[in-house]
Amino acid sequence: MPLSPIATANEWAHRAAALVLMALLVTSSPGANATPPPKPDNRVIIHSQGETRISGTPKRVITLFQGANDTAVALGVTPVGVVDAWAQGAHYDYLDKALDGVSSVGLETQPSLEAIALLEPDLIIASRRRHEAIYPQLSQIAPTVSLATVFDVPRTLEIMGQALNREDKANALWVDWQARLKDFRQQAERTLGNRWPLSATVLNFRADHTRLYLGGSYAGSVLKDLGFTQPPAHPKNLWMMKLTTKESIPIIDADVVFYFMEDDPSVRDSFDAWTRHPLWQNLDAARNQQVYPVDRVAWNLAGGILGANRMLDQLFEHFELEDGS
Amino acid sequence: MVERLRLTAGPISLALNGRTIVVTSVLLVICLAVAVLALSVGSVALSPITVIEALLGRVSGPEGFIVETLRLPRIVMAFLVGAALGVSGLILQALIRNPLASPDIIGISGGASVAAVAFLSFLTPWFAIQWLPVAAIAGAMAAAAIIYFLAWRDGVTPLRLVLIGIGLSAAMGAATTLMITLSPITTTMTAYVWLTGSVYGADWKDVQAFAPWLMVLLPLALFRARAIDLQAFGDTLATGLGLSVQRSRCLLMFLSVALAGAAVAHGGAIGFVGLIAPHIARQLVDRQFAGLAPVAAMIGGLLVLLGDLIGRTVFTPLDLPAGVFVSAVGAPFFVYLLFRQRY
Amino acid sequence: MTASVLTANCHYLKKSTRPGRRLILGLLLTGAAFCSSLALGQTNIPPVTVWDALFHFDATKTQHLIIQGSRLPRAVIAMLVGSALAVAGALMQALTRNPLASPAIFGVNAGAVFAIVLATTLMAISAMDQLLWVGLIGAALAGGLVYALGTVGHQSPSPVRLVLAGAAISALFISFTQAILVTHQEGLDSVLFWLAGSVSGRSLAMVLPTLPLVLPALLLSLLLGRHINLLMSGDDIARGLGQNVALLKSALGLLTICLAGSAVAMAGNVGFVGLVVPHIVRGWLGSDHRWVIPGCAVFGAALVLSADVIARFLIMPQEIPVGVMTALIGTPFFIYLARRGLRYG
Repeated sequence: MPLSPIATANEWAHRAAALVLMALLVTSSPGANATPPPKPDNRVIIHSQGETRISGTPKRVITLFQGANDTAVALGVTPVGVVDAWAQGAHYDYLDKALDGVSSVGLETQPSLEAIALLEPDLIIASRRRHEAIYPQLSQIAPTVSLATVFDVPRTLEIMGQALNREDKANALWVDWQARLKDFRQQAERTLGNRWPLSATVLNFRADHTRLYLGGSYAGSVLKDLGFTQPPAHPKNLWMMKLTTKESIPIIDADVVFYFMEDDPSVRDSFDAWTRHPLWQNLDAARNQQVYPVDRVAWNLAGGILGANRMLDQLFEHFELEDGS
Repeated sequence: MVERLRLTAGPISLALNGRTIVVTSVLLVICLAVAVLALSVGSVALSPITVIEALLGRVSGPEGFIVETLRLPRIVMAFLVGAALGVSGLILQALIRNPLASPDIIGISGGASVAAVAFLSFLTPWFAIQWLPVAAIAGAMAAAAIIYFLAWRDGVTPLRLVLIGIGLSAAMGAATTLMITLSPITTTMTAYVWLTGSVYGADWKDVQAFAPWLMVLLPLALFRARAIDLQAFGDTLATGLGLSVQRSRCLLMFLSVALAGAAVAHGGAIGFVGLIAPHIARQLVDRQFAGLAPVAAMIGGLLVLLGDLIGRTVFTPLDLPAGVFVSAVGAPFFVYLLFRQRY
Repeated sequence: MTASVLTANCHYLKKSTRPGRRLILGLLLTGAAFCSSLALGQTNIPPVTVWDALFHFDATKTQHLIIQGSRLPRAVIAMLVGSALAVAGALMQALTRNPLASPAIFGVNAGAVFAIVLATTLMAISAMDQLLWVGLIGAALAGGLVYALGTVGHQSPSPVRLVLAGAAISALFISFTQAILVTHQEGLDSVLFWLAGSVSGRSLAMVLPTLPLVLPALLLSLLLGRHINLLMSGDDIARGLGQNVALLKSALGLLTICLAGSAVAMAGNVGFVGLVVPHIVRGWLGSDHRWVIPGCAVFGAALVLSADVIARFLIMPQEIPVGVMTALIGTPFFIYLARRGLRYG
């Protein structure tokens, strides 16, 4: 029973607000993205964040993750804008010449949308892992193709080949890669005989922990394609483990251990501490002297077809096999 | 004798004094000026005239796009987030009867942070990132509900609320740390930036998702202005003056949490705005909630707007989160306030 | 006069055996936790080998090396950190008369974290022992600022002012830390685990510098028990009973900074120990600080030791940071305490 006009007004205000709030909660959940209006075109590319129509051959490409930078160069395209590298300056050493003079659009994790817009691109290659939130804005600047992760070399090659209208080149690169893989496997079997297939571990030493990359990681998947196996102790459901105590050293053991690290004094201290530990000395790999440093960029940071080839170069060299390519 | 303007519209009546009106108008002008300034600077500096023309839709090409689609929504979002936090802090300080209360300390930011970091660490392969604000709001509400429930013993006293809030914040902080250190998806920096508070990448869709919260909750808070003013008198006096204290406290707490939760969901865990904006507002105008609220909102909005402006222009090419600068300004200010207060 | 004093003391002694018994139980518990910390882990080492490793060390045996090289330092550090934090928490709660005070309130955590982040990212200091000093300096700086702010204009700090000052200074240092970490991603990666709290990977030699701080501070805290009891009745009564309240409060503040600062410098952010352990100890041993302080030292050590052991097993071969583990264990306790009623004393 209303006590006064003010109370009634208040009550009604509350009811109205409650209704609106409920409506808000229901409608604030995101709806599906509307598909873009059809343009006169050549092809439709289906990627991790929808479909994009691209016409002709894009001339001004911006690549927003390392693997895309790499793949663009591999396909013979010089982007008008790339994101900064994680090491070795603005670009990785092996891409320095190819990317000389290319504008930077900022960090891979947070590229500058304004810089991208000012470059007036006609194609943007992004990654859902990094750029999902800004995909709508990117799409408004230029047709945008989005890869699901940042280190899926075959998919990046395939999609970028389609987008850049260089499918033949992309195919050629892929065929080459497969041939090299097969070559390596055959030579390894011949040279190592019974010892093949070898089990391998990939380690990344850091200042306060050590990372173990498992089968699902970039380096791990390349090794798997080459025929290396994962030590049985490694869990199958993870792609990386962070080891914070030296008591977990035994899990590192394998026929061969590859490691990489940053060139930094605290990282080197950590490396020394780990490798001098008695549990490390007890590893089969350590005792057989099968522990090798490898290139951090090619094995972990590059993520594209050129980087993968460099990783394979190192393996050929390491096992002293003949690199036929 | 204070000059008061009386506005009556049916059952609603407001009495505002001249000073409040002046201050509010001046602030409005300042907000607009800062907004135009913010629209002019960035990767490419544009003259204010170009900016205004772009707003009217008369500039084409990348500059028009930059102003309309990149800068404007970001600025609007920054302002709205700050406004929501300012008003939320104002309500909370009245509720807890302590001018040093803020949405961060009673665990709202903590709850939103846990939910957001959990989302970023585990759910991004399956859910679109647009669900992140939903997760964060849910986390904020859940945390506030848990704190309220734990603080309930024949009613909730402000002291119990704060103490339990502090304790639970520590627990939620630990959970957040756990997820950041051991996340299988390497989104450490993304999570950390979110925890610092950032409006990078805000677009019109985000603004559309957030603005309705403000449009509903702010008027609701203004409706309850009388109750908020009464809460400041203490339980006994407020009950004597006809306020149903516990029910009112619950509703006001909900308002404050909803405002702060929605703000944090879209702007990340920006701290200090909810603490400082009400303080500055109280220096400028009368202690009436109806007059304080718009002022606190505008000051809060300006704070975040300025923080974002500094973050994206001073350290080019880096685009730093707004939260860093809000904290850098806010923390010394907090210390200064403490220094000046008599406790 | 002498007879009545003697009778009073005898009476007190009789009543005091119960906390005494419980304290001994606590010591046994700590001992058990210490032994399991040495024996259990990714390789479980039988007790006989543990004994041999400690007293008949053989450098050629791997298990002996594990015990002397990783587990013993880890256990010792866990005990030191646990005792220091718990006692600091008890002192803080007495000083501020606030049942939910903890060392973190004094800003020491935030100060130490800021100093270490500054050192690692901008000054490229990486050696563990140097970082320890850096952490201590940061903690002392923050604690000093909090104390100064809490005392400004008055003779001794009031509880409310201290808590607020602590919150302000913590917030200040946290914001500076955020500013640095957001611009240096590598910096974030290398302090992440330390920030989360860790007692592994440190050698005893590394923490030697803190011993001259921690051990005397613990000892002094034990001796101050009686004075703290008097302080609990209120400033005026304590003054009336002959206590130099200002001196006592300053001493308590300084001790807290030493203990908490050393703990944070050694192990990073280990939370909840300073908050929860004093409550548990007061619940079990009574509110006489002559028992509470040693009780905190003992039970604090037991808590961190147990947390460290459990943290090794949950996600083997990875480990949960010990700071998170203490929070996981401490939160249910905290909720129970909060529900039961926030009583102090």
